[in-house]
Amino acid sequence: MTEPTAQIQAGGPSRNVFRRLGPILLFCFTAVLAVLTVSPLLWMICASLKPGDETFSPNMLPQHWTLENFQYVFTASPFWRYMLNSFFVAGTITVIALWFHSMAGFALARLKFPGRELIFLIIFSTFLVSLPVIIVPLFILVRQMGMVNSYAGLIIPAIFNAFGIFLLRQFYIAIPQELQEAAVIDGASYFRIYWSVMLPLSRPILAALAVFFFLANWNAFIWPLTITNDRNLWVVQIAIASFHQQYSSSWNYIMAGSAIVALPTLLLFFIFQRQLVESIKTSGLK
Amino acid sequence: MRTSLDAPSKVEKRPAMGRSGPRLKRSQREALAAYLFILPDALGLAIFVALPMLFSLSLGFFSVNGFGGFRFVGLANYQRMLIDPLFRQSLWVTFVYVLVLVPALYVTGLGLALLVNRPMPFVGVFRSMFFVPNVVSLVVVALTWQVMLVDKVGFINRLFEFFGLSGYSWLGDPNITLYSILFVTVWFLMGYYMIIFLSGLQEIPREYYDAARIDGAGPAATFFQITLPLLRPTSFFVLLVSLVSAVAGSQAFDLIYIMTRGGPANSTSLVIFYIYQQAFQFNNYGYAAAMASFLVLILLIVTFILFAVTKGGRFHFT
Amino acid sequence: MKPSSQPEVTSSVVSSVPSTETPVPDSSLSRITRRELLIGGGKVAVVAAVSSLFSPFNIYVKAATPKSLSFWQFYGPGGGSKMQDQWFQDMVKSWNSSRDVKVELLYVPNQEYMNGSKLQTAFASGQGPDIFIISPGDFLRYYNGGVLVDLSQYMEDAAKKDFFENVMETRIVDGKIYGLPMEVEPMAMYYSHKAFSEAKLSEADIPKTWDQLIEVSKKLTKKNQFGCLFETGPGYYQNFTWYPFLWQGGGDTVTPEGNKSAFNSPGTAQALKFWQDTIKQNVAPRNELGGGGGDVVGNMVSGYCAIQNLGIWGVSALREGAKGFEYGVFPCPTPPNGKPKSVLGGWSFVANAKGKDPETAAKFCVWALGSMSDDSIGRVVDWCIKAKSDISPRKSALDKATQLGGYNDGPMKVFKDDVFPTGRGEPRVPPEVYKAVSDAIQACQLGGANPEQQAADASQNIDSFLAGYSGAPLK
Repeated sequence: MTEPTAQIQAGGPSRNVFRRLGPILLFCFTAVLAVLTVSPLLWMICASLKPGDETFSPNMLPQHWTLENFQYVFTASPFWRYMLNSFFVAGTITVIALWFHSMAGFALARLKFPGRELIFLIIFSTFLVSLPVIIVPLFILVRQMGMVNSYAGLIIPAIFNAFGIFLLRQFYIAIPQELQEAAVIDGASYFRIYWSVMLPLSRPILAALAVFFFLANWNAFIWPLTITNDRNLWVVQIAIASFHQQYSSSWNYIMAGSAIVALPTLLLFFIFQRQLVESIKTSGLK
Repeated sequence: MRTSLDAPSKVEKRPAMGRSGPRLKRSQREALAAYLFILPDALGLAIFVALPMLFSLSLGFFSVNGFGGFRFVGLANYQRMLIDPLFRQSLWVTFVYVLVLVPALYVTGLGLALLVNRPMPFVGVFRSMFFVPNVVSLVVVALTWQVMLVDKVGFINRLFEFFGLSGYSWLGDPNITLYSILFVTVWFLMGYYMIIFLSGLQEIPREYYDAARIDGAGPAATFFQITLPLLRPTSFFVLLVSLVSAVAGSQAFDLIYIMTRGGPANSTSLVIFYIYQQAFQFNNYGYAAAMASFLVLILLIVTFILFAVTKGGRFHFT
Repeated sequence: MKPSSQPEVTSSVVSSVPSTETPVPDSSLSRITRRELLIGGGKVAVVAAVSSLFSPFNIYVKAATPKSLSFWQFYGPGGGSKMQDQWFQDMVKSWNSSRDVKVELLYVPNQEYMNGSKLQTAFASGQGPDIFIISPGDFLRYYNGGVLVDLSQYMEDAAKKDFFENVMETRIVDGKIYGLPMEVEPMAMYYSHKAFSEAKLSEADIPKTWDQLIEVSKKLTKKNQFGCLFETGPGYYQNFTWYPFLWQGGGDTVTPEGNKSAFNSPGTAQALKFWQDTIKQNVAPRNELGGGGGDVVGNMVSGYCAIQNLGIWGVSALREGAKGFEYGVFPCPTPPNGKPKSVLGGWSFVANAKGKDPETAAKFCVWALGSMSDDSIGRVVDWCIKAKSDISPRKSALDKATQLGGYNDGPMKVFKDDVFPTGRGEPRVPPEVYKAVSDAIQACQLGGANPEQQAADASQNIDSFLAGYSGAPLK
């Protein structure tokens, strides 16, 4: 064991300097990159603080600072109601989807049964069409089921998407086999294996998916617009779209509304991002 | 649901009395459990995705005017597709788009994930900052970048001028616009793929890295010989998903729809956008369905090949 | 109307979990049967869904006596402009107060109404609105689909004559009127007083010809400003704004009969070249700020351009969004030997022939905009000079609005006296012809293509399309 260490030491002082400087350089690099990434959105913040006729003026910072846009967004329409709608719909979809998809992903990854790969391919093939292609028959179908203009119509069709199943399957494939086998030997039912062993292990991926599903449905627009006519069922993005007019939209309100709407998901992500980097516990392996 | 799943284990534990037939083998139990696990999703997908999908695609053999007029035309739509210059152009645009986007997303996603996977001060803040572009709605993305990239007074052009370079028409020049859109797309999506890679990186047990360090491997060697190979399930996922999304997905469609409407001069008219135009602007649902079927077919073939080559995306590690 | 699929699904789930306590002779058989039941139940559910999907009855069900008709538009309730929103609500309230069959407004956000899928999805599934608004460019799509009701059968003769000819010709097929406009939107050029004075230009420098426009724009182009601005994004709007320049030089899309292309002409080529020149000479930008070329606050007010090719709606947009901004309006400049020409846009009310009650829907449209009653005329006047800024589509309304002083001041006066008389209605063309023209404009303006070649190519496309076309004649 001395040889490798000798080699490292033989690297000399330059190597040590690099090792100490490395993290600092990386930190600076990451910080700069992060700031650059966010900087275009600085314009959005500034635009939400400017009056309407200044939105596209060449200067970035407002000449007349104003909070009137935010005030308008909340008072012109029941924006809180729409946020609540979005929250309810996105939240419900996220919870149900996480549950269904993790079950399906677990089965497709870890259990052996006839037709496994074929079923997975069929499921995956549903990923190959996006909403614009299927929206008309889907609308007809949902209408036949009596779910038009209802929360059910907003929630149920949005749960089923092969993306989550695919991601979870890949994740579960990579989990060491030993963990599952130990539980099976103990005589646990498959549901118990899923519930008590696999789910806790998949916290990173479930955290990621929770953020994705919530975000996708929080920002969803085309399907909610298609399936609802009742203003009480509006989701936030439709409310923001109502600030558009035929020729000159009120971009200041749109930016203010969008800034507000972006916050919950960002908060959700910030809370969940610790889970993302939780390693799979290896205790019990050795 | 719970009762039916627990039932097999009850049978397992109870001795043969009361059940005169052979009890289920372990493999049958497993299969049953698996089918039940998959059932909710399979049912939902079948009803809400597969069914509309089959219906939509079958429209490819009809001429549909969108107001209730149906007419069977056999292969006419497909024949039209073959000679339509706009369709061919949109295929080319999509090809370039995919060729640039998929590797770009892979590299940036993985790069960012590696960067923020280590403990450093404010790492949570940095992760959030990289993800912020994906959080804001596309309307904001489109408007923000319009202001950034507009001729002459856009911030990017002003920056160029500041350094003495001549500005470009990032969104108005047919030769450049597609690449500007690609840049915006990468900016928008890199946080998304960063998250996927982050969770994939967590699956690599610490011990491998420790062993590598003890063996004196430098960062590059560790990356290429430990990280990358062990990331294969995630990489497979990212490549396939970004490919499909770039060709047929909403990720591709939404941004073009809002920012350029396929222009300037059809230079950003992706296939999925052209399909949308034909369906919802031209009222040629049948033709749109034919093109969509073609797309699905191509993607299915690519998927089959990728699955065959990687043995179903299952990567076994020694 | 409970769909038949539901009971099957419920029963299959329930029956799939038989009691496990009762001893069953062959346990494995019972498991297989249970699984089969699941699959069988699923199959039945799917079959039921498919059959209900395909059965035409369910798609086009007509209620016996509808209580209310739906009116889809992008103004209210809840739209971006309070006054326009109010106008619609007042109108509907007035109708509802004295009728049995009510009209209900449904607001669809503007962009989604015009370019999105909500309207098309509704029509495709047999759930289209009973009353809605369309732009002239969309007319053929709906007419050829058989969804427009002949409104003239419910109109008084005096009312039919009251509408301006040049406004109505694109909404008339075989002498019957299919759409009643609430507004007329001519196109002209706006210019910023501030930009002019900064460049030491005055009213005398207002360009009257294409060459003059380019020259003046050169003087107005500086570091942060373009001299002039035309729409560059592809769409019906771009075609709409380009037509005046086509017509000024005598060019046209199709022949007067509407069955052959007239696009391959010098008039077309020079119009394409003009727009190309504005870009090539760097006096016009390749893309706009804000909502595009039709957004005056985003572009001219912010100083991005000095002259903007814009329609009459700019007056109210500036009134509401940029009070105190000083500007002027002049008619579109003409080519050498060209005649002054403008294009007339404007949306109209139409009734869905496949809706719940086409007759009442049509009567509503006529009552709202097309009757000789003071109420109807007054409504049009209100829209055109109070809620928005437009020319009235009716002689009586225009006169009344003038009396009320709606066209007294500068810009509105220019539109009414100088621009409107030279206006021709926005052409009605099928989407394929729209695309051929759009591609030609895009290729020349932004792609630097050869105008003559593009005109010829587009003309060929138009002809090959028209060869197989059977619908109302293009105009």
